[in-house]
Amino acid sequence: MKTQSKMVAAAVAVVTAFALSACTGSSGGDSSTASSSCAPSSGKVDLTFTTWVPGMDKVVDLWNQKNPDIQVKFQTGPSGNAGTYQNFFNQIKAGNAPDLGQVEYDALPNFRVQDGLTNIAACTPVSGAQDKFVDWTWKQVTFDEKDAVYAVPQDTGPIAMFYRKDLFDAAGIPVPTTWDEYAKDAALIKAQGSYITNFPKTDVNWFAGMVWQNGGQWFKNDGNDWTVDLTGDKSTQVADYWQKLIDNGEVSKLASFSDEWNKSFNDGQQWTWISAVWGASTLETGAPDTLGKWAVAPMPQWKSGGDQAGDWGGSSTAVLKGSKHPYEAAKFAMWLNSDPEALALENKLGGLYPAAKAGADLDAFTSGQEFYGGQKIYDVFKEASSQVNPDFTWGPTMTQTYTDVSDGFGSALGGSGTLTDALKTGQQKTIDALKAQSIPVK
Amino acid sequence: MTTTSLETTAPTTGSLSSKRRGRPGGLSLRRAVVVFVAPFGVLYALFYVIPIAFAIYQSLLTVKREGTFGAAQQVFGGLSQYILVFQDGAFWGSVGRVLVFGIVQVPVMLFLALLFALLLDSPLLRGKKFFRLAFFAPYAVPGVIAAIMWGFLYSPSLSPFSALTSSVNFLSADLVLWSIANIVTWVYVGYNMLIIYSSLLAIPQEIYEAAKLDGANNWQIAVGIKIPLVTPAIILTAVFSIIGTLQLLAEPQTLRSFSSAISSTYTPNLAVYTTASIPNYSLAAAFSVVLALATFILSFVFLKLTQRRAFA
Repeated sequence: MKTQSKMVAAAVAVVTAFALSACTGSSGGDSSTASSSCAPSSGKVDLTFTTWVPGMDKVVDLWNQKNPDIQVKFQTGPSGNAGTYQNFFNQIKAGNAPDLGQVEYDALPNFRVQDGLTNIAACTPVSGAQDKFVDWTWKQVTFDEKDAVYAVPQDTGPIAMFYRKDLFDAAGIPVPTTWDEYAKDAALIKAQGSYITNFPKTDVNWFAGMVWQNGGQWFKNDGNDWTVDLTGDKSTQVADYWQKLIDNGEVSKLASFSDEWNKSFNDGQQWTWISAVWGASTLETGAPDTLGKWAVAPMPQWKSGGDQAGDWGGSSTAVLKGSKHPYEAAKFAMWLNSDPEALALENKLGGLYPAAKAGADLDAFTSGQEFYGGQKIYDVFKEASSQVNPDFTWGPTMTQTYTDVSDGFGSALGGSGTLTDALKTGQQKTIDALKAQSIPVK
Repeated sequence: MTTTSLETTAPTTGSLSSKRRGRPGGLSLRRAVVVFVAPFGVLYALFYVIPIAFAIYQSLLTVKREGTFGAAQQVFGGLSQYILVFQDGAFWGSVGRVLVFGIVQVPVMLFLALLFALLLDSPLLRGKKFFRLAFFAPYAVPGVIAAIMWGFLYSPSLSPFSALTSSVNFLSADLVLWSIANIVTWVYVGYNMLIIYSSLLAIPQEIYEAAKLDGANNWQIAVGIKIPLVTPAIILTAVFSIIGTLQLLAEPQTLRSFSSAISSTYTPNLAVYTTASIPNYSLAAAFSVVLALATFILSFVFLKLTQRRAFA
């Protein structure tokens, strides 16, 4: 009978463990904004850091050499929306999230709403950090709240236009500076048997970047309620524009970043790519045969002579909920994103374009790029960075918004419905999702 | 596609111990039974009963919070998640999609499996060992790998058959469901064939001899003897296939990086996965519970409808 009672005891223990973890999972939201104190820990501290940026392990090694008392363990995973965010949410719910995690700006509100971030405003390494970073990124990590810093800005993704200079020159087609010209060129390029670009169904954040440039705004938060506006004039204008290119068969419909997509760029099927600064290395690795044939120009403008740019992507380093060493974590996050040596390494290995103001002056960003025919392409992006509207707000359930709009984009590409329909559906589903999470929405 | 065993029949401890009741070894025997059943019981509880119970518990919760960034609290919400499930058009659309898929794909696959099994069992065929292995080999390829491989084969510009794939787009909205059906069939025909084939091997040779004496030819033996006798095996494979169809995940999820036509709610399991990553755990749990019930009911109804004929 002894074994039996042991068995029962074990079973009870297992069940209780589950019940307990369930409890901690559901009551995780008690000390959400308390940031009154942030004291250094005594003795040696071990931190964990999860990121998907290539080469970040080398940067972590550099830190570990210099800081024997704060050792950081590097962990990697798929890019945010491809799985790491879901891991983070699960880990936060289970109470064993890494101390630090890579979180893109558009996902930060989602983590904030899920109470997954630690407020590090009171940690001394962060004090005075505001001036070190590009203005709009600071708003993204503070939500304009008082005494609040939820993450340290890492990189940005100001958008410009990559284009095949050789093909434009050979065909005698003018390089577009406005969206009108871009549409005219699209028809000319179609006549040549190629595409002006690919419409990326899954990159709804890219589409948001286009809306961002046009002065649109998808979300607003007045401190109490959220407003969702995916279907405003500015968004509809962008949607109608791309719908026309799709209807005319002037853009391809490949799954972006797929092998098929790379091949299409490598084979000269794509003449332009409206993309962020990090796209420079994507093109280099994806289309190696086109070395020296690309150039970079500012985004086409809605008004002739305009100077607006959008942003696509960009990340922060967040101290996730449950970290026992917020002080040390904040110290590491600040070093990671403002130390010149770290920034240079991150650019070299991961292609990051720093959010730190000093980053733009790194050697890597002031020299000509071989892949782009020797052009100093980062000058264009530096200019674009200063033209990004600083007041763009992301919603609290962006993963869901992206998925629903992307599904609608997929239908539109398949010929049923339009991009505007997709935005309408996305609007309704986002409001439903906010209500389901009991987030106040107007 | 995963296959779950339908029922797990644990040895009934009651009858064993009752036979030995009163004998000196009774207690130690009972202890032995407990020891032998324990590994199964613990794992069954850990990985089956508790997760299901937790999913049901989770599905009854709902989120409450104050203000924009107020701390979220999970409170008991009754059946409110289930109301959302039944109002969700995309989810039911995905259920309808896999049902259409199953109605076409499962019979085609099982017909092929039966055909191959009969051919392997027929005295006419040479090189049986080779064909048995060749048909079964695709099952050894993990579903994700199979989907990636077929994704490249379907791809308009990367496919070795690009002359065909650039004129017929297998990854378009109209065709992609059947492209997935083709992958699933390719993977699972051999597996189902093997189940049916092993059931064919169990048929006593005397029956064939008797049939031959009565003048039956190979075709008559196949239709009149073999197929009726392996019907239970066919029904078993059908139930596995129905369950697998409702649980389609890996193939459509993998093909999403090849095709723009597969939405985030293309199959029920994909919808659950997408909902969980919002994260909306309670709704995802409710979806899962409803899906599990639907699978159970469908399998049960199918068994009820067929077993009278098969096992009479």
